[in-house]
This record gives sequence, C-alpha cells and structure tokens, in this order.
Amino acid sequence: MSKDELIKNNHSLSDLKQDFFAIQPPERLEKRISKTISWEIIKRRTKQYASVFSLCFVLFVGGLNLNESFAMAMNDVPIIGAIVRVLSFNFATLDTGNITANVETPVITGLTNEALEETLNAKYYDESKALYEEFIKEVGDPSSFEGHMGFDTGFVVKTDTEELLSIGRYYVNTAGSSSTTFEYDTIDKKEGLVITLPSLFKDQTYIEVISNYLIEEMQRQMKEDEGKIYWVGDSEIEPFERIEENQDFYISAEHKLVLSFDKYTIAPGYMGIIEFIIPTELISELLVSDKYIR
Amino acid sequence: MKSKEYTKQLEEYLLEKRNAHFRLAYSYVKNDEDAWDILQDAIVKALRAIHKHQYPEYINSWFYRILINACLDFLRKRKRFISIEETDLETAIDHYQDLDLQQALDNLPTELKTIIILRYFEDQKIGDIAKILDLNENTVKTKLYRSLKLLRMDLEETIYE
Repeated sequence: MSKDELIKNNHSLSDLKQDFFAIQPPERLEKRISKTISWEIIKRRTKQYASVFSLCFVLFVGGLNLNESFAMAMNDVPIIGAIVRVLSFNFATLDTGNITANVETPVITGLTNEALEETLNAKYYDESKALYEEFIKEVGDPSSFEGHMGFDTGFVVKTDTEELLSIGRYYVNTAGSSSTTFEYDTIDKKEGLVITLPSLFKDQTYIEVISNYLIEEMQRQMKEDEGKIYWVGDSEIEPFERIEENQDFYISAEHKLVLSFDKYTIAPGYMGIIEFIIPTELISELLVSDKYIR
Repeated sequence: MKSKEYTKQLEEYLLEKRNAHFRLAYSYVKNDEDAWDILQDAIVKALRAIHKHQYPEYINSWFYRILINACLDFLRKRKRFISIEETDLETAIDHYQDLDLQQALDNLPTELKTIIILRYFEDQKIGDIAKILDLNENTVKTKLYRSLKLLRMDLEETIYE
C-alpha cells in the first residue's frame, strides 16, 4: 500500500467514523438497561423462592394467610366430589394507558390431599403477590412514569388426565422488550403428591444422559435449520453443558417427559421459551417405573 | 456476595458504555429495535454468567465478546429472511452519505468489520481487540491490514466499474 493510498484510506475511514458516531442511541437506553438488570434480579429471586417452596411444601401446611377477596373467591367455588379442577383467580389488573398489568393465579380444587392443595394454592398466591408488588415498586409513581411497561403473569394447564395435572405458570414483562419464564408443577392426582424431576429417576445419572442427548439434539437442529441457534459448542462463551437437577419439566398427556428452558438460558432471546421432548427409550432404564413416563 | 458486587460493577459499566455498545450492534443490523434486542440478549447473558460465578478479569473485553456473539447470532438468524429485509436495507443505505464506502465496510466479513469498528471508530488497543476476539495480537494486525486492503480494493472496483 503506498503512502498516498494510506492517506486516502485514513481520510475515508474518518468519514465512516463520523457516520458511526452519527448513530443516535435512543434516549431511553439508560432506563432500559437498568430495567433489564433489575428484572433479571427479580426473576432470579422469585425463582429461587419458588423452588425452595416446592421442595419443602409439606412443612408449610397450616397457618396460611390468604387475603379476604381470595378466600371469598374460594368459597364461591362449587366443589363437586373428587373432580380436580383448576380455576383462574384474577389477582390484579391495571391499565393506565402506558402501564398494564394482568395477574392471573391458578387455584386448584378437588385434590384428595387437601393439605397439598392448600399449600400449592398458597404458593401460587404468594408468588403472584410478590411479583405484583415488585412490579409496582419498579414502576414507582405511575403519574410520573414515562414510556410503556407491561406485566403479565398467568398459567396454562399443560396436561390434565385422570392421573396427572401439569400446570405451568408464566411471567412476561414488557419493558421495551419482553422476557419470559415458565415454571411447572406436575401433580399425581390419585396419590396427591407433587412429582419432582429427581423423584422420577433411580439416581442422578439422568442429568448426564439427558444433557448429552440435548447437546446432540441442539446441534442437529442447528444443522438442519440455519435460523435456529443454541448456545452449544466450544466457540460459545457460556455454552449449555448440563441440565439442572430440578430443571423445569412437565409430563405430557402422552406420558412423555418434556423439559423446558426459559428465554435466554440456552439460546438467544428470539428463540423464546424452548421445550424438548425426551425420547422415552433414552431414559427408560433410568426411570423408577413406567407409571408416569412411558 | 461476590456476584452482587460484580453485578453492580457490570451495571455501572453497561450504563457508561451504553452508546458504544448500541452503536456497535446498530452497525450490524441498521435499526434501533434489533440493536436493542441484541444488546438486551448480551446483557442478560452477562448477568447469567456472573450469577453462575463466572467472573471476568477484564469486564470490557469480556462483555464485547458476548455482544459480538449476540450480533453474530442475530445475523445468522436474519440470513434466512433476506428477501423480507431487503427494503429495510435500502432505506438504511439511503441514509448514508458515503454510500460506496459504507457498502464496502458492510460487505466485509463480520470479523474484519468488527476489527475496523473497534480499532478505528472506538480507538481500542490492538491488545484489547485481541482479547475480545480471542486471537493473538499479530493475527489482529494481519487482519486489520487485510481489511484495509479489502476496503480499498472494493472501492476501486466501484470506481472503475
């Protein structure tokens, strides 16, 4: 490269540099960054709280303090025999134009194990309450709040068979962009107990077996479809390595084990919430029995 | 306790460098919305890493690596939708005065474009760029020289077409 050319290059590069600095980041960028961070912390806290809760649910029976309107809603519910039903309780709705919130809480009725039912309902109620309060705190004074903020939490019944009930609670918050998490409870209606992931297996080898399968499956899907990206492989900074002992899961009506991954945990945000159906033949040797999964 | 401190440190860093981060993402995707999605992806990923007690030695090069990977993730996804994006691209290009040069820069392989942005627009040191891209310094220098050469050749082609 001659000297003249270099000078020419440097000159044109400075033009490009000007263009680069002409990019105007949005005014609300600072706020959005802070929001993203605080929501991430809130979600983590709620999640920790939820998993602790479901692990020691037996200890929490009794002394539950539900608020009045909730108790009233419960009384209005006709309880028919032993039919297990999931009702929706509208904990809160808020709409001020730029702030919207909708909080739906599941209410389980008709479980033969009443203590369990009460514990689960109390857990759902407390969670909704905690999330809503955090949201209100985050918004601060609604009259001086600028921009749009939305919060939506509710639930879906993933499986409802004679034997099993799988409820997934979700949280969506829209502070500029959305982020979502899903948490599941799978209940054996007849036995009246909550099924945890470790309780399905003889020992902990499932973690490795399923993780290895998932890594292969992610790589296969990426090869097949260029638009799919999972964070696996050596080139990733924080690659997916293994599932958690208590990874979010549910059991489908077809008796298949389905694992669920929250947004951002194993893939970029646009991939959303990701579910993997685990082939039963892969894990059949590891299962305690084929009662739930087959 | 430690992860709390790092989170705080990360937040301060992110707020301070927000414009530089945004511009980098924007220069790949040419619109505010996608640039923010990328930045948000990178922020959440960085927070998760800290939560898992993966503490970076140099927050700047560490975060840039995450950010650039998020850009690459996004571009890979977008490759599939080129036909839909074409109109966007035209409006984006309209907006630039140095059309040919900007095109030449955009046509560079992503890694080379990144090196140009980091070195010439953001004035980052070769050593830091090497850390961000996980390359040794000499490789970065070679690539930098190559990008400049490519830019020049590209320009010449347009001129003598």
